[in-house]
Amino acid sequence: MKDSKLGDFEETLLLIVGILAKEAYAFKIAEEFEAQTKKATSIGAVHSTLERLGKKGFLKSEMGAPTSERGGRRKRIYEITAEGHRALEASRDLKVSLWSQYPAFAGYKLKFV
Amino acid sequence: MQPSPPKYAEKLLLLFLRDDFAEEVLGDLDEKFLVMLTKTSPRRARLNYWFQVINYMRPFAFKYFRSNSNLLTMINHNFLVGARILLKNKLFATINIGGLAIGMMVAILVGLWIHDEFSFNKGFENYDRTVQVLRKDSDDEIVEVNSSLPGQLGQKLAADYGNYFEQTAMTFYRNNPQLLKVGKVSLEQSGYYFEPAITRILEPEMVMGNPNGLDDDFGILLSETLANKLFRDEDPIGKNVAFNVSTNLVVTGVYKDFPKNSTFGDAQFLVSLHLVYNAQNPHVWNNYNIRVYGLLREDVAIRDASVAIRDVLNNELNLEEPIDLLLIAMKDWHLNSFYVGGFQVTSPKMKFIWLYAIVGMLVLLIACINFMNLNTARYQTRIKEVGVRKAVGSFRSNLITQFLSESLLYSVAALFLSLIVVYLLLPSFNTITEKALIFPGGNVWFWLICLAFALFATLLAGSYPAAFLSSFNPVKALRGNAKPGSGSIRFRQLLVIFQFVVSIILIIGTIVVYQQISYAKDRPVGYNQDRLMTIIGRSDDFYINHNVIRNDLKSAGVVEEVAVANYPLTNTLGNNNGFMYNGERIDGTFNTIFTGPEYGATVQWELLAGRNFSRELDESGSIILSASAVDMIGLDDPIGKVIQSSSERNGKRRFNIIGVVNDMVKASPFEPTQPLMVFCTKSPMPFMFIRLRPGTDYVTAIPQVQAIYEKHLPDEGFNYNFIEDQYLIKFKDEEQIGNFAAVFCLLAILISCLGLFGLSSFVVSQRVKEIGIRKVLGASVPNLWSLLSRDFGVLVLISCVIAIPVAFYILSGWLDGYGYSVDLESWVFIVGSATCILITLATVSYHSIKVSRANPVESLRAE
Repeated sequence: MKDSKLGDFEETLLLIVGILAKEAYAFKIAEEFEAQTKKATSIGAVHSTLERLGKKGFLKSEMGAPTSERGGRRKRIYEITAEGHRALEASRDLKVSLWSQYPAFAGYKLKFV
Repeated sequence: MQPSPPKYAEKLLLLFLRDDFAEEVLGDLDEKFLVMLTKTSPRRARLNYWFQVINYMRPFAFKYFRSNSNLLTMINHNFLVGARILLKNKLFATINIGGLAIGMMVAILVGLWIHDEFSFNKGFENYDRTVQVLRKDSDDEIVEVNSSLPGQLGQKLAADYGNYFEQTAMTFYRNNPQLLKVGKVSLEQSGYYFEPAITRILEPEMVMGNPNGLDDDFGILLSETLANKLFRDEDPIGKNVAFNVSTNLVVTGVYKDFPKNSTFGDAQFLVSLHLVYNAQNPHVWNNYNIRVYGLLREDVAIRDASVAIRDVLNNELNLEEPIDLLLIAMKDWHLNSFYVGGFQVTSPKMKFIWLYAIVGMLVLLIACINFMNLNTARYQTRIKEVGVRKAVGSFRSNLITQFLSESLLYSVAALFLSLIVVYLLLPSFNTITEKALIFPGGNVWFWLICLAFALFATLLAGSYPAAFLSSFNPVKALRGNAKPGSGSIRFRQLLVIFQFVVSIILIIGTIVVYQQISYAKDRPVGYNQDRLMTIIGRSDDFYINHNVIRNDLKSAGVVEEVAVANYPLTNTLGNNNGFMYNGERIDGTFNTIFTGPEYGATVQWELLAGRNFSRELDESGSIILSASAVDMIGLDDPIGKVIQSSSERNGKRRFNIIGVVNDMVKASPFEPTQPLMVFCTKSPMPFMFIRLRPGTDYVTAIPQVQAIYEKHLPDEGFNYNFIEDQYLIKFKDEEQIGNFAAVFCLLAILISCLGLFGLSSFVVSQRVKEIGIRKVLGASVPNLWSLLSRDFGVLVLISCVIAIPVAFYILSGWLDGYGYSVDLESWVFIVGSATCILITLATVSYHSIKVSRANPVESLRAE
């Protein structure tokens, strides 16, 4: 079964993959997550979620070029797929729509993107 | 060198990680490690690496997760079933895990304690090569090993035995606390006078300054703690410290405090022994007031060095009775330095360790027995499952694996619970045992041992239930008439009996230990301890002024009497023989002390015959004996008789007995008193005793005494003690045994009762229908209660029968070790057994009464 829903953590990671672009591999994503959200995580947790996103079809990945600072080992670089983009957009649209219906905030012009 | 990621963590990772992930994951973790290195310490970086590896233990990353390995599927399945059963019956799970956790907690605490004892002194750099010199005195009958040596010996060893010793260092035999003063801060601290070489033997870790700071005779090395107390934030190096008021020392270094579990753990400072012994006051051969430590050369065996120095004293002194020297290695100082008759024997400390280890293991065993009992008793809930499993082709080995993995689940849960409890309890445990144990959470070995320990508990507790549960015949099991043989029931009963035997012995033991302590505490001491102060004179001024101090104190009003003596009141220092009566030598040793004439009036001993010394008379030829001394000499009417001495005392050799006093407990309150001889002197003596008037208020009296004392001795510091407090210290060891016995005893009973509680709830639930029918037919609640409780009552009775003789044997052996001990009385055994029986019945009754009172309709309606 292909689950097309996005969890909160999944969504955040997906966005970070987008932000990091060519540098999107597990370690960097974990670091970026901690820097942006100020929450602690582990590489394992991030990796596991990335795998899941890959299985859902939101991410694709391939091994990058070897670099010297990690003992010549290659990195797995992740990239958002078209399906991933659509899922992110759908998630954003839903939230924007919800925000605009919330009376306390509806008067303000909230700028999303 | 650049620190590298922990090797074992990497190995662990590769063990479970999917191969196709290895490259990227290792790379990521390496990068993380490098980043951590720039941010924090290597230790934290390594810790983080472990954290990351453990966080990779997720299903997606596992090598075998998707494999079809039968073995792994089965393991998975076993744990799943185990977890479900655990959750299904929460009461059983709680009892099982709780009991096991308590047992493990005890075992872990005892383990940490023992480990601490065995790692004594291991914090020193030269643990393997450091030695102490001992002497072995032999006269006709007694051989004694002692560590006090003459100072010239140390110099001789340093000068002539350099091919054995790389370094030698002497210190005083007794190191009393000294007064240190910097500005307004004045502290009495314990520390050591040492020869400068000591820092090359112990190699203290220096915080600042020069490790060889004692090479300067007026240098002082401070511990980090003391340096902070004296100088706060200032840099102490080069600053002055007033040492015992009159000597000015310069701080030449600050060392990290010695480990608390070490011989020198109390050393807050080190000063040079040359302050006392130098060219003006050289070391001598005939004063045994020095300890000698040494550092052996790398290639020297301790045996050879020990043999080489054996006769140094004999050659030097031409002694009548030989004094051999020997060496004791640092590893033996703490636990193996107990000599009787010249031979190394098991020390009391080692006996403590054995005692605690055995009792700790027993408590754990009780907990494991609980586990066995509960699981085998619950066989009926699993019998159908076993039948089905066997019918579909399960081998017995599969079932055993299944039940063992269930046990593993329980014991791991219990282990984690117990570790949490240990972590929380450790501070209070440290207070009781006066240790500084820390939770070794960062020690890989600790975790490995814990894991091994959990496996051991699993096997111990789970093997019998596994063997038992897997043994049913499938046909019978499925038809529902499989009954365990009477053998298994008997085995279970045996286990319960064992549990209660241990519990009863512990109850009786606890009572007897406390009885023995209070017996010794109530022992008449032969003098009056109430409001009796003692103070040690340190300076020449004390000796010069001591009569003035005495008179001033007496006229102050709060003081009734003041006297001095050459030894404290709470020990039996000063042992002599060589006395004669009627020209015949008296066999045996006397505790001989010199006191001022008012000693008797001050300590208020009980005069049985004759009179006390008097200041007005010439008492140099008088002597007062204790009752046991009179007995030892064999005198019927002692007053006026003459005792001769082979050596001169007070310039005399003949002493008139003028008085006899009741025996005074000066040494251990658990031992018979030593015969006492009291001589009179009017010269100053170092130990002063001050008797406050009865009923005086301490709060007003002590400042008055202090004011007078400090008026005459402004620099000495008023450091007094109450005899009562000094006496109470003598009970410390026994009180510790008592407290431990009590705690162990409570835990053992708690665990046993937990088990019984579970067992009875199960047995009762089996008989619910039967009870219902009996009730319908007219059985009363007491009837039913006795029916249900009888079985357990019988088991406990049998336990009592076994426990009482065992307890009697163990305890009479223990009490034999004391010269002054309580008699083992029968009520102790009765109370111990009765307590156990009552607790058991109360535990069992909870369920039996509940079922007996239930409405029979409830139980009979179903079906």
